Amino acid sequence: MPVVDVDPDELRELTGHEEKADEELKADLFGLGLEFEGETDDDMYQFEFAPDRLDRLSVEGVARSLRYHYGDARGVYVPNTNDPEWTIEVDESVPDERPYVTGAVVRGLDLDEAALESLIQLQEKLHATMGRGRAKGAIGIHDLAMVKGAPLQEGAEPSVTYRGVDPDGETFVPLDSNDELTPAEVLDEHATGETYADLVEDLDRYPAIYDELGLFSFPPVINGKRTEVTTGSRELLIELTGTDQWTIDRMCTIICYALSARGATIEEVEVNYADGATHPSEYGAELVRPNLDVDEKAVSHDRIETLLGVDFEPEEVVDCFERAGLDAAYTLDEDVTYEVEIPPYRVDVLHPLDLVDDVGRAYGFDNLEPRYPDVGTVGGRHERSRLEDAVRTSLVGLGFEDLLNFHMTSGAENYDRMNVEPGTGGAAVAADEDGVFGGGDPVEITEPYSEEYTQLRTWALPSLVMLLERNTHNAYPQDVAEVGFVAERDDAEETNVAESRRVAGAVARRDASYEAAKGRLQALCDDFGADLATPRTEHPSFIEGRAATVEIDGERVGVVGELHPAVLIEHDLEVPVAAFEFDLDALQ
Amino acid sequence: MRLPERQLAVLEAASATDERTVAEIAAETDLKPETVAGAAFDLADEGLVAVGSVTDETLELTDEGRTYVEAGLPETRLYRAGLDAGADAEPVSMGAVIGEAGLEGPEVDIALANFARKGLGSVDGGDLAVDPDADPDVDPEATALAALADADDEGAAFDADALEVDEAVIEQLDSRGLVAVGESVTRTVTLTDDGVDALMTGVEATETVGALTPELLASGEWRDAEFAEYNVEAEAETARGGRKHVLRRTADRVKDVLVGMGFSEMEGPHADADFWINDCLFMPQDHPARTHWDRFALDVDQMEGIPDELMARVEAAHRDGWGLDGDGYHSPWSADFAREVALRGHTTSLSMRYLSGVAGAELEPPQRYFSVEKVYRNDTLDPTHLLEFFQIEGWVMAEDLSVRDLMGTFEEFYRQFGITDIRFKPHYNPYTEPSFELFGEHPETGEEIEIGNSGVFREEVTGPLGVDCDVMAWGLALERLAMLTTGAEDIRDLHGTLADIDFLRNAEVSY
Repeated sequence: MPVVDVDPDELRELTGHEEKADEELKADLFGLGLEFEGETDDDMYQFEFAPDRLDRLSVEGVARSLRYHYGDARGVYVPNTNDPEWTIEVDESVPDERPYVTGAVVRGLDLDEAALESLIQLQEKLHATMGRGRAKGAIGIHDLAMVKGAPLQEGAEPSVTYRGVDPDGETFVPLDSNDELTPAEVLDEHATGETYADLVEDLDRYPAIYDELGLFSFPPVINGKRTEVTTGSRELLIELTGTDQWTIDRMCTIICYALSARGATIEEVEVNYADGATHPSEYGAELVRPNLDVDEKAVSHDRIETLLGVDFEPEEVVDCFERAGLDAAYTLDEDVTYEVEIPPYRVDVLHPLDLVDDVGRAYGFDNLEPRYPDVGTVGGRHERSRLEDAVRTSLVGLGFEDLLNFHMTSGAENYDRMNVEPGTGGAAVAADEDGVFGGGDPVEITEPYSEEYTQLRTWALPSLVMLLERNTHNAYPQDVAEVGFVAERDDAEETNVAESRRVAGAVARRDASYEAAKGRLQALCDDFGADLATPRTEHPSFIEGRAATVEIDGERVGVVGELHPAVLIEHDLEVPVAAFEFDLDALQ
Repeated sequence: MRLPERQLAVLEAASATDERTVAEIAAETDLKPETVAGAAFDLADEGLVAVGSVTDETLELTDEGRTYVEAGLPETRLYRAGLDAGADAEPVSMGAVIGEAGLEGPEVDIALANFARKGLGSVDGGDLAVDPDADPDVDPEATALAALADADDEGAAFDADALEVDEAVIEQLDSRGLVAVGESVTRTVTLTDDGVDALMTGVEATETVGALTPELLASGEWRDAEFAEYNVEAEAETARGGRKHVLRRTADRVKDVLVGMGFSEMEGPHADADFWINDCLFMPQDHPARTHWDRFALDVDQMEGIPDELMARVEAAHRDGWGLDGDGYHSPWSADFAREVALRGHTTSLSMRYLSGVAGAELEPPQRYFSVEKVYRNDTLDPTHLLEFFQIEGWVMAEDLSVRDLMGTFEEFYRQFGITDIRFKPHYNPYTEPSFELFGEHPETGEEIEIGNSGVFREEVTGPLGVDCDVMAWGLALERLAMLTTGAEDIRDLHGTLADIDFLRNAEVSY
């Protein structure tokens, strides 16, 4: 979940509520869904919140939400913008993998340390969330005074150009460096370059933004040092590049709202996609940005009432909308429907349902009286779940401790330590004379994070033996059993994975013998009216001559026997263990 | 007259003229003292002996007292260290003497207080002087301690009367906490006249029987047999049977409650297509939770059996939104990713299968469904997180459900587990709107804890599945509920091959 760092004094100043005590602020913010997490080293409050309201990723956005909450602001607010002077030209050399750009010019700034820090924080938080770690959208912020946009002639319009560049075809001095580096060198030698190298290193041409003087931004990796923003910066050029125009436009909008809240003026820029450059099909090749257009959605009065379970007067609903920072109009027909205006920073509103949620929050979900729904249905357990449960009850009656083991394991545990070779058989081939029970093909985890969990278990006995291995310090006898899940690769299945439930039991005690295991197995089969036969078999986990196939109602479904001393020693066991395992379905 | 063997032995050992103690009779008869006492009371009930008792004061060294027997009393140590330092001639610095005497912590105060009391010297303004005429070797307190220690070595408490020490010294030692004064009761047995008569007339021993055998029962000999008495209060070895796993029991309880509330159980694959796990849930394909860090993708071929029309509707919801005013995500979407097979991160994949109708019949409202099944998340193993855990999942499908119905349903569910005063905190999930995190009070600690996540499925979820009424759903980890109801503090004790079999054997049964 995103975390926003907020200076409580700044928050008081931006909301105009100097009188709010710290605890009051925290409680008010909790009501908005921002949970106090603690304080940073420099006394900033940290709040965690759900990742829908990304407009609250900075103190300015949090303050705006609070002002609506306090009733100091109502309805939709859109900052004024001035007409464009600057143009971002998009060259056809821009890499196809990162075709889109947007931006804005901001003037009349007075950046103190706190405001600059807040801006940088917002940029980083947007990168991490909407920007998907800069892959989908990356923000570059520049001191406009250091950007040279026009040749030295009267009347020329200033512009910068987004284009592709040969990885070694240009040099510039990146932020936090004094060296002239090519973009490729930045990826190798610069700390920030190394961090974001995977986003561009496979491209033939790297994204770059040029002004009259040359390359000054290498998105999404790093800006040039020349245009670095400081507390002395009064005017900014904001550019965003990415893989989706809507996403970068909205990221830009959130930044513009934040800077506007600090008294800055937003000035539009033109974005011109050249012929041959990929342009966003839904908006065309010539854009004016930032896009602060208000969106509209319709939602019916009836839907609001039924979903919240409350009867409203239309005025009450409109009041809720306005307190949520939205505007709503309606006509008093038989079916009241609201035309709701949504400001552009609300990136979370995808459907009229989201507006109902806003009404609910403004009304206060705490004010809703719970009621048990007047809907009659008949409940019941699934048959498989009842069978599992019945078998567990029988096993417990036979003295087994019921276990619950992990389904993920490693090849070493599942095969090697049991003396079984992978791919030598399995449940499906239990009927096959040559198949080894438990030796089915593994379902492997594509990118395992730990050597201990690399695949699903193909049989349950290894888990039981592992548990015995971990409990050698505890008293014997240890009779343990599990009714549990196993899986193996099987391309005949819908999911290409054959999943089944097994019944496995192990008797670990001084006098554990084949007879002890078979006796319990027999009792279990009797419980379920199943016929048991145990024709002799060979299995690498068991002592030769003391292992049998479990045949239930004529189907070969498992194995029973005395575990081989080599398997016992491998697991540090100093008592004999007799064990069985078979398919749960055989008892159906 | 016939008496049980042990009673006869006691009767014969008792005397009409001497009060004999239980210990004496036990030594003579070779019976345990408690057996003698038991037999004596039985005989007293018959009027054959009289049982009396004598109460003695006993003394026992405390741990502190024992320490001083070895090391010497603190004030004595202080006096000797003072002598060594020449404090008999002129006062010396107290601190140095205390250090020399090896006194630490509370011993210092003890030493100083008793030093003054016994007139071993004086303390003035941080200087210490010792009285050269004092003789700590004849300290009656030390002497008494030594005598007690000797007696103690021979075992048992010491009879105060046997110690020739002034009562005042004992009181002093008691108030210093060096001895514990207690009481011991000695029981005595004396033959009564009836007892003497009985012995003169002749008493025979009845035979006692150890174990009741089939032969005794068959022959009828049990009628004349007397059964040897057991010490019925003695410890017996605990009998161990098998037990259902504590988490399974919690799961059973949850299933009972839900079935009682009209819910039917779902089941379905653990390894499933991302389509069912995430795409149907309106989780954008570039959502951070769908990166390889959070899911367990499986190295098997893509799943082909997803109905084309359903796939197309889900893709449309992601790309363009659902309904007239719906917006889609501005995220990439590919059918290949949707067909990839992974371990389910939540059992909502089952809900999606059931709601779509692929798990069985097309469902008409009203319906209630649940599952308590395993899910897989890549998390760091710690006392509250496992890579595999059980998720309780439930949903209600009906016309015109409201948030109030959702609140009422979940309040009822948690009330069954003793968790009341549920709080619904508005929340965000990609797949539900409105959404709520559920908070409740821990039944033991009273702490406010998160106990679930809930909401009404978005139309982008239900619409493509072909459901045109409301569905409200919630989920929580079974382990969280189990930790609440069993008091377990480390989830790893409960679950998996790391489990401790003793923990499972001893876990309290919940019901």
